[in-house]
Amino acid sequence: MTELTYRASPVPIRDDLAAAHRRAWRRIAGPGTWWDGPTRVAIAAETRNAPACTLCRRRKEALSPNAVAGTHDSLGALPEIVVEVIHRVRTDASRLTESWYREALDNGLSDGEYVETVGIVATMIAIDSFTHAMGLPTHPLPEPLPGEPSRHRPAGAKPGLAWVPTIAPEDLTDAEPEIYLNRSAANIHRALSLVPDEVAGFFDLDDVQYLPDALLRDFGNEHRDITHAQIELLAARVSAINQCVY
Amino acid sequence: MALLRASGEHTGDAYDFQSVNGEAVDRSGVPHADLLIDYAEAVTGDDPDRLIRARTAIAETLGPAALVDSAGVAAIFQAVVRIADATGIPLEEYKAEITEDVREELGINDFPSVRA
Repeated sequence: MTELTYRASPVPIRDDLAAAHRRAWRRIAGPGTWWDGPTRVAIAAETRNAPACTLCRRRKEALSPNAVAGTHDSLGALPEIVVEVIHRVRTDASRLTESWYREALDNGLSDGEYVETVGIVATMIAIDSFTHAMGLPTHPLPEPLPGEPSRHRPAGAKPGLAWVPTIAPEDLTDAEPEIYLNRSAANIHRALSLVPDEVAGFFDLDDVQYLPDALLRDFGNEHRDITHAQIELLAARVSAINQCVY
Repeated sequence: MALLRASGEHTGDAYDFQSVNGEAVDRSGVPHADLLIDYAEAVTGDDPDRLIRARTAIAETLGPAALVDSAGVAAIFQAVVRIADATGIPLEEYKAEITEDVREELGINDFPSVRA
């Protein structure tokens, strides 16, 4: 597999950041919990394709996305319901509703498949937005790796906190990675916990692009070339632009 | 928002949260807020020339390493917001309480994701 690299970047990219992006690329290529490698790479490709979708553009402009019917402009490799999830999360996430999520399940997607899809979309956005922000070309997608998904559903996952079932720290078993080790059980960390590997994977990126959880309130020390306040201002402005309360 | 407030409380700085809405940026109290806000808007927007200008301003004023860190933060939050919105994960009660005034002032409680 060709490794993701930032060697051609005119601005030096931190080694830890480049290494985390390489790990993410390997994760996307390999089998996950519910999707195999080819499907995960197809989800990554569809995430990149979504902004060019005419239906998504028309829905984004509409007062309500439900007012616009049609078919997505997709790459054709994934079932329509998976494309719908990828495109809506990529292009119009702030207007998603629980009833829309339930409809995705009614249309054949399992909750685990949904959560894993969201994790892949988020990973792609984190990396592609970084290259976009830096003025660098997007990385070629990885070649899919063979192998079967683990199909492991955490026994302790429960409904109630969010639309999707989540797992509390006390309900983790030895069968799951220690996703709350070195990080709190803040709701955002629990959001993808129905698929623990997606939590571990996404927050591996979050640790290097934002800050590791243990350093978030270490206001007496600066760990980046911008200050805590500058980091939080940037984060808050991006969240506000996306109309996200989190 | 909670961490921006906490950061200011630690350093004794009073930040004007209107800058989170892209307003009153010059009064925010955060050093180089104007550049950072412009960069956040350029990264999330669709004007390539604006992004080039914003990126150049950050690199020339704060340095290339600061540009990398700024790009990392902006990019990861483009993803974090989608995880939150797509899973319906709520804001923790304690965070909601300590940011209640700011969320009301900035109109954040009117965001579609709050009403969903």
